[in-house]
Amino acid sequence: MQGPYLGYRLLLAIILSLALLFVDARFSQLNSVRQVLNTALSPVQWLSDLPNQLYRGVSFLFTSRQSLEEELDLMQARLLVLERKSQKLASVTAELNRLRELLNASRLLEEGVVVTELIGASPDPDHQYITIDKGLADGVYAGQAVLDAEGLMGQVIEVNEFTSRVLLISDNRHAVPVKVNRNGVRAIAYGVGSVNYLELGNVPDTTDIEVGDLLVSSGLGGRFPKGYPVARVSNIEHDPGQPFARVKAIPLAQLNRSELLLLVFRENSQAEKEVSGPAQENGEAP
Amino acid sequence: MVASNFNWLAVFLTFLLAAVLELLVMPDVLVPLRPEWMVLCLLYWLLRHPERIGMSTALLAGLVLDLLAGSYFGLHMLSLSVVTYLVLAMQQRLKMFPVVQQSAVVFLVTGIHLMTVFTLRSTLSVTDGSLEYLWQALSSAVCWPLVIILYDRLVFALR
Repeated sequence: MQGPYLGYRLLLAIILSLALLFVDARFSQLNSVRQVLNTALSPVQWLSDLPNQLYRGVSFLFTSRQSLEEELDLMQARLLVLERKSQKLASVTAELNRLRELLNASRLLEEGVVVTELIGASPDPDHQYITIDKGLADGVYAGQAVLDAEGLMGQVIEVNEFTSRVLLISDNRHAVPVKVNRNGVRAIAYGVGSVNYLELGNVPDTTDIEVGDLLVSSGLGGRFPKGYPVARVSNIEHDPGQPFARVKAIPLAQLNRSELLLLVFRENSQAEKEVSGPAQENGEAP
Repeated sequence: MVASNFNWLAVFLTFLLAAVLELLVMPDVLVPLRPEWMVLCLLYWLLRHPERIGMSTALLAGLVLDLLAGSYFGLHMLSLSVVTYLVLAMQQRLKMFPVVQQSAVVFLVTGIHLMTVFTLRSTLSVTDGSLEYLWQALSSAVCWPLVIILYDRLVFALR
């Protein structure tokens, strides 16, 4: 078998792989193939999550009644606090929308969320992505924003039938448009391949950014919804030899720990036009 | 010698096991030390049954790896076919080696696989330039005797 033909077969394999690489990197024709094959591989995904699920199941079996009751009390207290906050939110949002109408600006969009569960993480330390248990069947689409309880996690980059892949904001191919919550200064937060910090790009030395500033998504670029917390500025270095300041920020989302995540569903662009249209007319009438 | 007991079910199951291990969620400390299970599995079959397992199996395993890792198609296919070529070329000597010596070869071969993948990846998109990924070659070499023992048992049971 490994006769004189071995070299030729290697050559053939290399040509085949390079051709595939070229086609896949340049064109998008193979995406549907990838989707089908990934769906076929979802049992592997499920099997690899099995030990985790078993562990959770077993630890649930051995949880004492008392600690469950304590947890319940804690949850109820937390719920009460959050409900008090959201009571005000409804009236504030209504008022904000009325004011925006007066200003001739478009109405704030309502966003729906769906809870999803993490079922896998990137096996490759170089790539920061996770796999979640919702897919095409649940209406997930590429580009969708994913949050956890604390802040923005990332965006969906690949949707399969029952699972999808989420690129984390810390991946070094990822960037989020953000603004400083305190004064609205805009910046772009780049991932650097570490879950511990992001870097703000092209921030002039004179910009008003301080350590401890909250960075929220600015909604520019149209990919992420506006106003979700992304990171908190942790470190600013001014080097006179460099044209820009070096700003580091710690992501608020628990990028490597969260297991329950939220998928943000936005009203589609059609609905956005319908909502903003009448608002503008109302504004112009008087 | 386990020359006669070859069946495709065993091949399928061992590769499935490797794929599952590949995706297994591990503690953060261990992530840089994750052995390349698919490469180890391929090496096992290349040494045990070079007359059945060859380039086409390598390409198929590479395709699965590409899908699991979410990389471009062809990336792992290329590196695994290079690995297959190397191992098949020295297969006659390699299978006579004691296990420890085989481990050393596994270290080199896995290292070549990782370097190919890393080089291709950094030409196609962004990566941070550290050589940390070579720890995976070391852990693969350490796991090699384990893989031999486990897979021999498994194949024997499925015979």
